[in-house]
Amino acid sequence: MPLIINREKVQDSWALVSPEEGADFVERASGHELLLVPFDCLEVADALGSKQLGVQVTGEVEVEQLVPWLSKLSLIAIEFPVFRDGRGFSLARQLRRVGYTGELRAVGDVGRDRLGYLERCGFNAFLIAEEAYSDELLQAFSEISVHYQGSADDPRPIYHQ
Amino acid sequence: MYQYNQVDQQIVNERVEQFRDQTRRYLAGELSADEFLALRLMNGLYIQRQAPMLRVAIPYGLMSAEQMRMLANIARKYDKGYGHFTTRTNIQFNWPKLEEVPDILAELATVQMHAIQTSGNCIRNTTTDHFAGVAESELEDPRPWCEIIRQWSTLHPEFAYLPRKFKIAVTGSKEDRAASQVHDIGLHLVQNAEGEIGFEVLVGGGLGRTPVIGKVIREFLPKEDLLSYLDAILRVYNLKGRRDNKYKARIKILVEALGADTFRDLVEAEWVYTRDTELKLTAEEIARVKGFFTPHAYDPSAKDDASLDQQLKDDADFRVWFERNTRAHKVGGYRCVVVSLKPLLGPPGDITDLQMDVVADLADRYSFSEIRSTHDQNLVLAEVRQADLYAVWQVLSEHNLARANINTLTDMIVCPGFDFCALANAKTLNISDAINAEFENLDYLYDLGDIQLNMSGCINACGHHHVGHIGILGVDKKGEDWYQITLGGSGREDASLGKVLGKSVAADEVPSVLRKILETYIEQRTDEERFLDTVRRVGLTPFKEKVYATDH
Repeated sequence: MPLIINREKVQDSWALVSPEEGADFVERASGHELLLVPFDCLEVADALGSKQLGVQVTGEVEVEQLVPWLSKLSLIAIEFPVFRDGRGFSLARQLRRVGYTGELRAVGDVGRDRLGYLERCGFNAFLIAEEAYSDELLQAFSEISVHYQGSADDPRPIYHQ
Repeated sequence: MYQYNQVDQQIVNERVEQFRDQTRRYLAGELSADEFLALRLMNGLYIQRQAPMLRVAIPYGLMSAEQMRMLANIARKYDKGYGHFTTRTNIQFNWPKLEEVPDILAELATVQMHAIQTSGNCIRNTTTDHFAGVAESELEDPRPWCEIIRQWSTLHPEFAYLPRKFKIAVTGSKEDRAASQVHDIGLHLVQNAEGEIGFEVLVGGGLGRTPVIGKVIREFLPKEDLLSYLDAILRVYNLKGRRDNKYKARIKILVEALGADTFRDLVEAEWVYTRDTELKLTAEEIARVKGFFTPHAYDPSAKDDASLDQQLKDDADFRVWFERNTRAHKVGGYRCVVVSLKPLLGPPGDITDLQMDVVADLADRYSFSEIRSTHDQNLVLAEVRQADLYAVWQVLSEHNLARANINTLTDMIVCPGFDFCALANAKTLNISDAINAEFENLDYLYDLGDIQLNMSGCINACGHHHVGHIGILGVDKKGEDWYQITLGGSGREDASLGKVLGKSVAADEVPSVLRKILETYIEQRTDEERFLDTVRRVGLTPFKEKVYATDH
């Protein structure tokens, strides 16, 4: 799937490994340099000695649950199960607020018309479905070029600018 | 009133082009119907029973004469020559073509108007008292705060995909003309023991399927903390509000489920992070916005006028209108004029393009070029010299805008119902017509005094039936329209939810049932007692007995 990081299309080098019935998770998760796992697998994955560790969460996970892990994480992927589920916007804000500076990736139902809002909430990476991607999509970030509110890269609302 | 600067204008202009592209992609099949639905709703565009419906924002119900003329122009050019004012003080056009909506928005942008967030699961138009800034008893003008909230909430990146829609109302006086207690957030300007002015904060009010009166979670919020506190409330709601069932997704359900105390604790915990950040309002910003709402240059000789007394003596029709449709203004010699959009014949809240132009002209000539739309679907010319009232009345009368029925039974709040709305279960406009026909006699209405009748065509309660002194809710029973009556509701400072009178009645029985209710009131009332107070004092029983008595 096409991945956008900092408004550029790049290659995704992370391996997402989720538990599957009848398969050994440790075996499947071992040997990856960049290992991305669901929140429930973090402890097990942490012991596997990958070069870098990432976690994939939904809006169900609270920021307090992630805080103890932040120093070990290079990627946090927040999943949008349906585009209407806006919890990820707030979770991203909270993660940036507590000082997480690594890659914050929006995955799941991530479409063109939410890219600008997502970026302003602190996401810098976006995994887009193949059929929804075109290079033209990169224009969507700047469709609205001025804002009343502060954002991840500049917390000042309009009246402080 | 507030005037756009370059940034405000650029945001609206860019939003028009963004929506134009979204519409193009949808029509070209590049955007799914489901995704376009969410996007168009956030821009006020519904697909209704007959045609698309476009809802245009009128921030806190304040518009200029120039803006009203533009609305008239839109009605003429893109619609069937009329619009409909809503309880969120916005205006709806019922017949635009989908492909023309970007052009309509572009025209609106030329007069600093838009349709941003007039629908969808986002923060909607903030509403306020339609006598803001001119009411005698006001502590402080709430409109600058509404404008500050408007800017903060417009295209807010974090709060565009909330569990459900979100409505905020602000009041500045003890009298609540904005139904603030049945809003997701109600903000009341109040004074603390130190004499400082700040906000009392209510959350979790709402109507719809589960009507609830809002609960106070903070008795005094310093003004400069307004946005950081709203931000905290919205974040808690966005993260914790239910998303599995749209009928349980409003903040009121979350507040009820957690309890107001727990909800407050969560908000206050979140607020710790944001209180001392850039969200804190600066004195300069507050002063800048307040600068747009300074008092007009009133005519100091207005109070010396002697013509009004004579006109009131000479013309009984004018006197009746003056008593019923005008209100005191804080400046001597001025009055607030309510323009009745509740004619004898015609849907409540509807206005033709010609009438819009007439009101705009009157505003230019007599009321500092400003017009307000009210929560109960009328218009207000808020600052008319008493010497000009007769002329204003004559023009309004000529254009069927002076029916002297404000706050009477026929000054009804009514949603468009089944005739227009895709959600409705039952018609409402035939019922309001029937009520108008049954209670045509104005003297009888005046004898009944202040009565708020609210009617909704379905449980979503756009017509605010729960908070009507008399509420009427249309329900569908095996394909027939039936109407459930509630009594004793109020959306004012003494907010309460109406109680169901009994089994619902058929459409053709509504007027006679109302008559029985009113007869009961007349029998039961003490001197000068309002309908609502009688209902509260005697309870529903005498009304039930009269309405459901078996015929002899």
